[in-house]
Amino acid sequence: MVGIAHPTSMSNIEQLLVAGVLIPLASFLILALCGYRLGKPLAGWVAVLAIASSCVLSAAALVKWHGLDEAGRLAARSAPVLWAYLGSVPLAFGVNLDSLTLIMFFMVTLVSTCIFVFSVGYMAGHSDEIDGLSKFHRFFTYLSLFGFSMLLLLIADNLLLLFISWELVGLCSYLLIGFYFHKKSASTAAIKAFVTNRVGDCGFIIGLGMAYLYLGDLSLSGAAQAFAGQWQTHGPLFSQTFLGLNLATWMGILLFCGAIGKSAQFPLHVWLPDAMEGPTPVSALIHAATMVAAGVYLTARIFVLLTPEAQLFVAVIGCITLTLAALVAMVQTDIKKVLAYSTISQLGYMMLGMGVGAWIAALFHLLTHAFFKALMFLGSGQVIEGCHHEQDMRKMGGLWRKMPVTCGTFLVGVLAIAGAGIPAIWMPNHTPFGLGGYFSKDEILAVAYHRVYGEENVAADAPVGRGEAEASPHTGNTAVVAGAAPIQNPKSKIQNAALPPWLFWIPIIIAYITPFYMLRAWWLTFMGKPRDHHVYDHAHESPLMYLPLVVLALGTFFSSYYLFRPLVADAAPTPFLTAAFDGEATEAADAHGLLIGHTTHAALARIVGGAFVVGFFVAWVLYRRGLGLAEKLATALRPVHVLLSHKFFFDEFYGLVFVGGTMVLKAVSYAFDKYVVDALVNLSALVTERLSWISGTILDQGVVDGAVNGVGRGTWSLGGLARSPQVGRIRNYILFAAGSVAVVVLWMAFA
Amino acid sequence: MDVLALNLLIFLPLVAAVLVWTLPERRESLAPKLALAVGCVVLFAGAWLWPRLPAAMGDRGAGALVGELKADWIAVGNRDGTSEAATTLTNGFVLRFHVGLDAISMPLIALTALLVPLSIWCSFTAIRKRQREYYAWLLALTTGMFGVFAARDLLLFYVFFEFTLVPLYFLIGVWGGPERRYAANKFFLFTFTGSVLTFAGILYLALRAAQIDHCSVIDFDLLRLSALSLKQLTTAEQSLLFLAFFAGFAIKVPLFPLHTWLPLAHTEAPTAGSVLLAGVLLKLGTYGFLRFSLPMVPAGTLEWARVMGGLAVAGIIYGALCCWVQRDVKKLVAYSSVSHLAFCMLGMFSLVPVGLSGSVLYMVNHGLSTGALFLVVGMLYERYHTRDLDALGGLARQMPILAFFFVLFVLSSIGLPGLNGFVSEFAVLLAAFNSEVLGRWYGALGATGILLGAVYMLYATGKLLFGPVKEPAGTPDLSAGLKRDLTLREIAILTPIAILVVVLGIAPRLVTDTLDPALQTQVLARVQEASALAAAVAGGAP
Repeated sequence: MVGIAHPTSMSNIEQLLVAGVLIPLASFLILALCGYRLGKPLAGWVAVLAIASSCVLSAAALVKWHGLDEAGRLAARSAPVLWAYLGSVPLAFGVNLDSLTLIMFFMVTLVSTCIFVFSVGYMAGHSDEIDGLSKFHRFFTYLSLFGFSMLLLLIADNLLLLFISWELVGLCSYLLIGFYFHKKSASTAAIKAFVTNRVGDCGFIIGLGMAYLYLGDLSLSGAAQAFAGQWQTHGPLFSQTFLGLNLATWMGILLFCGAIGKSAQFPLHVWLPDAMEGPTPVSALIHAATMVAAGVYLTARIFVLLTPEAQLFVAVIGCITLTLAALVAMVQTDIKKVLAYSTISQLGYMMLGMGVGAWIAALFHLLTHAFFKALMFLGSGQVIEGCHHEQDMRKMGGLWRKMPVTCGTFLVGVLAIAGAGIPAIWMPNHTPFGLGGYFSKDEILAVAYHRVYGEENVAADAPVGRGEAEASPHTGNTAVVAGAAPIQNPKSKIQNAALPPWLFWIPIIIAYITPFYMLRAWWLTFMGKPRDHHVYDHAHESPLMYLPLVVLALGTFFSSYYLFRPLVADAAPTPFLTAAFDGEATEAADAHGLLIGHTTHAALARIVGGAFVVGFFVAWVLYRRGLGLAEKLATALRPVHVLLSHKFFFDEFYGLVFVGGTMVLKAVSYAFDKYVVDALVNLSALVTERLSWISGTILDQGVVDGAVNGVGRGTWSLGGLARSPQVGRIRNYILFAAGSVAVVVLWMAFA
Repeated sequence: MDVLALNLLIFLPLVAAVLVWTLPERRESLAPKLALAVGCVVLFAGAWLWPRLPAAMGDRGAGALVGELKADWIAVGNRDGTSEAATTLTNGFVLRFHVGLDAISMPLIALTALLVPLSIWCSFTAIRKRQREYYAWLLALTTGMFGVFAARDLLLFYVFFEFTLVPLYFLIGVWGGPERRYAANKFFLFTFTGSVLTFAGILYLALRAAQIDHCSVIDFDLLRLSALSLKQLTTAEQSLLFLAFFAGFAIKVPLFPLHTWLPLAHTEAPTAGSVLLAGVLLKLGTYGFLRFSLPMVPAGTLEWARVMGGLAVAGIIYGALCCWVQRDVKKLVAYSSVSHLAFCMLGMFSLVPVGLSGSVLYMVNHGLSTGALFLVVGMLYERYHTRDLDALGGLARQMPILAFFFVLFVLSSIGLPGLNGFVSEFAVLLAAFNSEVLGRWYGALGATGILLGAVYMLYATGKLLFGPVKEPAGTPDLSAGLKRDLTLREIAILTPIAILVVVLGIAPRLVTDTLDPALQTQVLARVQEASALAAAVAGGAP
């Protein structure tokens, strides 16, 4: 049973976080009610102030948290507050206090602050497009609402609260994609995003229903405990199967469906590129750095509820996504679309990481990605703004002269996503140097390698215990400790079975493609000769917009292994994760803990360490002299190019099958309604009417009334008949008398 | 005071209706004002009664009634000869005027008390002919609606249930759209046909009850009929009685495939009629099921629960698909009611606590959001004289305030968390999953409804509000003293609903705290009893 706590009983850290969530809400309310009066820059600064104070609060919380020991951290969690009873089920919400929440909270507020500041500059020139009616304040109203919902999502300790904030975040996405709603394309993209996400949510809500039904508790820790309990007692979740998979697996897959929608994973990835219809800061904030990452965050939170089969599903989805998106990104010409597909691809990496059990690595990648992708999107926003809404890279080129800061910071982002770094084996004492993306992506790949090629490498390696303390990169020997999966189901049949090799090799290949398309984008935009002088002549950059870029670039630089990863790793052995398994299971998890040793990492470094060099080189060769060579190549490989530039025809396919199918279905339904159901009703009315006509006209008038009239008429005619013999003719009387006598005689004779 | 307030709700509108009707012609302009004044009194009475319930339940338990009044109305039969008890019947039948509010009826009474003044107010500019009659019928309808929810006597319920038909028949038939005559006839005949069967069921049940209880006086007391010995009322009887109740209530809900009167009636009705029809009158059906079918014939309910669940799931999907095709936005909202009330039925026939409270919550939430959507659509229609989605577009630029309200109510209607619709929708789906009777397939299929709901609603919103501006020539028509965007009066009409939409989304406990115990004791306990009995019989048989 859930205890009921008064809000004041929250610990200091919790109060800091809750305040951090509520301040953007207050800003939302202020802007919604009187944003119009605040006017142009002021409304924006209100939102900035709000999110910046959230950021400061979360930093304070983070520092406080850092100073606490294990017991103190446990004590800092207070009981949840009752929200509602549904039937007899109490729904209580509280703060899910652990390292992951805190670090994510800090990251989101920090990135948001940068983007909010950028937006003040960006929207100054982009908000007055509608009939002279300023929508400036509205933009920041939505942004504040987004800030609130996203932060609520991060602190939610309950699947239901998670879902609530999840949907609110989706709403903000809908509103912001459709911000330029007078454009048909924006309005359509907004609906597409919302509906596609709803497809995922539909699965999520079914998963939630299953969790409620079988686990009886929707709080994260309670559900995890119940799940472990079911596994130990071989409860219905594990004993019942559907289509060959047990219900636990189904529940995990269905819950993951929500993440597929929100994180734009295959097959629901189609909305994200279209979402670029929104203003560019929105693309940076919602559709690159934070909201889409919420899917990964959700997967991390429900990780304990995923069976190995469900994890395999996650990994496969991630692998397909990262491949498709990277391939499509290679041929896009719209600078935002390249970034959109690159986002999808990177999210695929994170999901792959989750699926192979690289819990820490995936979240680490999420954090580093948030910085460098926000950086690149804002850079592209600067470019688009500077070039008067030109988004086509084919018309750009040579912009580095006009936008040196943007160019430089963008390059930092490119280096980060490409995984540029100097591998450990080439460095003294094996301490690698590199940008965030280098560590995080490699770590995911390392775990995948381990899961594919088994235990030998680990066995050969130092028997280091699980956790960050023993395996800091500074100790040298163990280069990377993978985010081990401590909560796999030890008895499951595929626990130790190797994953299919392609789950390792395809991401490796894509790791070569990523630097290619990113450098391509950068080169086409900033390097070479200007291809459109109209665009080039107008290009400029403004300080309000490039200052956030510098901050994010610094963040990208420092969000590396040494700062972020320990914090994420800290979250792994929290009560939340380990609560799923009691002592015995934890030991089992320890035994299976995936420790990626030095040799694995060295081998990996040999395989992908130089990927960014190769990718960069190919891109440079191709685009060094403008578009000529690439266009020739495109003509030579025409079928491939068509396939890629049409994004594998997903939109067309969905349009035909699902949209078309539903169109047919809805038309059939309505025709059925009109011509069958309603026709039956009308038929019965008609039948009744006819019956009443029959009874009224034929029976009543004809028969009943006819009978009455008939009787009358009959009597009348009978009277006439009776009268006719008595007209006084004597002959008739005699005849009548004789006839009568004859009848009587005859009757007597035969009787 | 409670008794007075409750009877004020029921009878004041009726008295006022007569008054308004008989106003002299030169005082015609007084009719709307008088009606609105009555509406306000009703609202205050409702608001006054609302907090009385938790207090009463605290004192007298889950079955407590607020404002209870019991009096014989029609009593036929032999009276006891002795002088002292001359009023006591020895045989015959009695129809009592027995009213009172419990936790199940209170939310619906409150909803009605809110929607009545709003729908009167929204007619100020829309209705310009035969105003006295219009407001008189509207007030008469109000009496019927309050009476139905307050009735504690089955026959009295039936009287009010039928009484609501007449005013609405005239409201649609006189002040409706181009096909009003057909729509009104269809509405009346369809619903009336069903309720006649229900009436037969009511009579049979009362007769059997008297027989079972060895009582020579036949009465229709709700509590007594809900407490009959289930051993004596056989399952076969209950099953048939369920069907009899079904005939009246399912048409009223309306449950697929008995729904075809609804889109027509909604489309043709004047705005106030649509608001009250969707907001309140459809709930007579669901309320009927909850109040009568479930506790009075629980074994019959159990027999038919799967069928009901199947019809509900079919209705959810089918209604949503039909919505999508509509070009008339009012018809779209009307079809969405078919889908939404099917959710309500799904929750109810899951026969688990969370489903029942979700179901009642759904009634209230649907009344708010769909009622509000009809109001907004009516406001659009007044300006553009069309509701065709192809003829209108981009209105968010023309009318930002209307757009705000429309989007808010659409979001509430599609169950966005944080707004009222979500809580009930979620509870219903959870219940369907959790139900022993229905099971997870009903929940899974029902969940597709939330997807389709979002699709058709956002599609309509996108067409109506976003994209390039499209207005028919010569519009907007502002001749009735309207502005291009909403007037203050219209904003004042929508604001209370908007506030409630948010408040109930954040704090559903306002309703559920009192509701849950009442549902448990008055409805679920009976169903559980029947189910236990069936299990015992099944266990004893082999």
